[in-house]
Amino acid sequence: MQSSVSNPLRLGLRQERVIPPQCLIIFGASGDLTHRKLIPALFELFLQRRIPSEFAIVGCARRPWSDEEFKDKMSIKLAKKISKNENEWNQFLKYLFYEPVDLQQELHVERLAKRLTNIDKLQATHGNKTFYLSVSPNFYGSGCKALKKAGLLEDSTKSRVVIEKPFGRDYSSARKLNKIVQSCANESQIYRIDHYLGKETVQNILVLRFANTIFEPIWNRNYISNIQITSSETVGVEDRAGYYETSGALRDMLQNHLTQMLAVISMEPPGRFDPEAIRDEKSKVLQATKLADEEEPWRCCIRGQYQKGGNDVNPLRGYREEPGVDPNSTTETYIATKVFIDNWRWQGVPFYLRTGKRLPKRLGEIVLTFKDVPVHLFESTIINPAPNQLIIRIQPNEGATFKFEVKSPGSGMRSRPVEMEFSYDESFGEPSDEGYVRLLADSMLGDPTLFTRSDEVEAAWKLYTPLIELMENAPWKLPIHKYESKTWGPSESDQLLSKDNIFWRRP
Amino acid sequence: MKPQLTLQTPLELPSEEISNYLNKLWISEGEDNAGANTFSLVVWQPSWLEQRLVKGNLINGPITGNLSEEVINAAKSLILKNGLPLATSLYSKNLFDLIKVDVQDNSSEDLRGQFFEASISTLNPRRLITLAPTFSDNSDIKTFVSAYCPLNEENKDQTICGDLVVVRGGENSILKRGLDIVDELVIRDLPAWLWWNSSLDDSPEIFDYFSKNGKRLIIDTANGSSKRCIDILDNALSDEKSINDLNWLRLKSWRESLAMIFDPPSRRNLLDHVSQVDVDIEGDHIIQALFLISWISAKLGWIFLETSHKSDSLIIKFKRNNEEQVLTAINPLPVGNPSIHSGQVIGLRLISQISNDPEKNTCIILGAESAECMRLEAGGMADMQLIEEVVPSSYLSSEADVSKLLSSSRGSTSPLFEETIKTASLIYKSIN
Repeated sequence: MQSSVSNPLRLGLRQERVIPPQCLIIFGASGDLTHRKLIPALFELFLQRRIPSEFAIVGCARRPWSDEEFKDKMSIKLAKKISKNENEWNQFLKYLFYEPVDLQQELHVERLAKRLTNIDKLQATHGNKTFYLSVSPNFYGSGCKALKKAGLLEDSTKSRVVIEKPFGRDYSSARKLNKIVQSCANESQIYRIDHYLGKETVQNILVLRFANTIFEPIWNRNYISNIQITSSETVGVEDRAGYYETSGALRDMLQNHLTQMLAVISMEPPGRFDPEAIRDEKSKVLQATKLADEEEPWRCCIRGQYQKGGNDVNPLRGYREEPGVDPNSTTETYIATKVFIDNWRWQGVPFYLRTGKRLPKRLGEIVLTFKDVPVHLFESTIINPAPNQLIIRIQPNEGATFKFEVKSPGSGMRSRPVEMEFSYDESFGEPSDEGYVRLLADSMLGDPTLFTRSDEVEAAWKLYTPLIELMENAPWKLPIHKYESKTWGPSESDQLLSKDNIFWRRP
Repeated sequence: MKPQLTLQTPLELPSEEISNYLNKLWISEGEDNAGANTFSLVVWQPSWLEQRLVKGNLINGPITGNLSEEVINAAKSLILKNGLPLATSLYSKNLFDLIKVDVQDNSSEDLRGQFFEASISTLNPRRLITLAPTFSDNSDIKTFVSAYCPLNEENKDQTICGDLVVVRGGENSILKRGLDIVDELVIRDLPAWLWWNSSLDDSPEIFDYFSKNGKRLIIDTANGSSKRCIDILDNALSDEKSINDLNWLRLKSWRESLAMIFDPPSRRNLLDHVSQVDVDIEGDHIIQALFLISWISAKLGWIFLETSHKSDSLIIKFKRNNEEQVLTAINPLPVGNPSIHSGQVIGLRLISQISNDPEKNTCIILGAESAECMRLEAGGMADMQLIEEVVPSSYLSSEADVSKLLSSSRGSTSPLFEETIKTASLIYKSIN
């Protein structure tokens, strides 16, 4: 009875919010992100009929392209993706414009402002502008200043700035950057993107927690023994060595994506479903989060770096042998840490976060392990009854699994664990949108719920400051442990948990 | 009583002075308070039932233009007392005829245009223009004007203000002068909506004027004869005019619930074997049920064949892609306490029969309440696999429906509705 066709009754039914007339200006339009993520996401919105007719996308970069060249480049880069929707792509191309801009050149930005006025008239975009800074983080501050100087951020109700990660390198640089950006625009105009928050399953955590009565009463220190948050990649550093060497797993993943997941899983219920109410709660919980040992932070963090691996047929290079990587690099490609949240709900519950490259599986998941039963009445088919676990899968195979004990068939009364499964695919049968689709739409709709606010960013950097200081001032205290490519990180990472008689879940 | 938007009684001004007055008002408020940059909402609000009930001394005034509980209760007790069907529309001529009106009695206050539900005022319409026709056809046009600043509970520091204008007078006077006044007052740079808050059978000349002059039209096909409703929808499509229907909007939970049943891929195959669909409605106004069946048939690619009548039910036959027939029926049911919106769907039964595997025959039942589900599962349905859902029915006021529409639509006719209208119109025209 399985049918692979999409649900015909669902077609056109999703009532999505309508994006108002809008001009989206992408700085860094010649870069990878534009053709890999942004334009495909905008085209997807177009296919979903969520792009209004009064719309424009203005690509900006230093390259001296014309509108037509920009359109051609995008058509070539996206040829595979658009092959099934060529007619729609040709209609979509009418929205594309290009203006050569170097954000450091005042004259260029002034010229851009004039061009935007013309495009606004041509496309009737009602003066609404969203500036997407897909440029090097070094230019966030100066970029915002240039936009302000050209008067492009003056109307706080009609202009917004979207900023990609990383937002700062540490607490002080993030604060400094926040100050600069906030001197150019109101906080309400600034959208700091974290594409993990655009994932359906991350948003589903809010629904799971706050739209069901059964979870919230047990979502606390009385019932939960520990929480593990994992984001693993199978790929190595690929062609991003230049960026990665200055960043590492802490700055690239832990401080933003994993910490946002931590915030969503641990925040208090907001008073109402409102962007500021949700961001208030996330910020509050992040401010209450501390490394498990702030005095001796090396005791609660393990860093690792992948070594060569694979086999004769498919050998894998170690990190230090990757092109563009310093052969003596001490950049971590793996990090695991333990944190506590000092509040009534979570006091004493350890949260373990880990992320790394070249691990055996690409996945993102949050595992809530519940406390053991007070008395073991039944013999288990394994040594002890397994504790209940709720596993929320962020990617792939988005969904959730609940593990609990049942009677093992047979004459005895022995228990064994079974799994209750929820899968997005099986329940909805439709792929969920790419994170960028949701986040681009939200930014143009002026909905900041899924974007990080300045205090969240600062709290997240502050949390890891002892580790960053250690890495910079006394790196020998936080050494890099080697791990073979395609294994689950260094063995020291297992010891981080085994001290507490806990083990990483092997997904 | 609904919240009054204006703190002061609107000022009566000659119509030609209103534009100037409002311009001055906003200029004097300074740049920071130039009024909401949102939309204009023109409301055709005859409130004939309320006017009659007040003038017939069946309820106390003032006339507010809202379908308040007092108005509904008075109308329902009249229906009951005079033996009219319980599902009689609150816009029905039969009901109006029961109310003896002293047209000369002008003592009751007419406050139409000053009362709007918070659901609408919090959307901060920049200008609310109410057309308030009175009984006496030729009574002179009077215009009133006021500013309003709804308090935003979530952000008390920020008040966004708008203004409201009431154009009151006899229907003929409105036709001769009132419509021009409205045209002058609609703000050119902002989207303008026209909400026809009345039966679609009312004042066809005025309706036609609005339907042709480019405003985003909001109608409610729960109010008006089926033929008139279909004609209006048909014309809107052929004239390529935007149209939004509250009756279609109210079907959303039914469409969503039915789609939800088939979200799991393992159930999709059932859709290829649908053989029967029954839709139960309150009373005999078939439009909403017709929309539901038309939507299903359009989505599943059925071809319409013919209609017939069986007892009170309307039978509509379709052909599936594999040439097999699908029998659908709209069944009017008498109900004890019908909704204020006529002909609302209260139950849906969809039967999927797989001839080579009868064990997999499935009956899907959606009911507005458990009792309706029980009714639909009778008659041998228990032999099949049953999938049942209760569709939550929250009968909102029309204002709340309009607010939902205004906050979710840009005014153009939804493609889904357009597709539905085409099939519904085809079916309706074949009914004898």
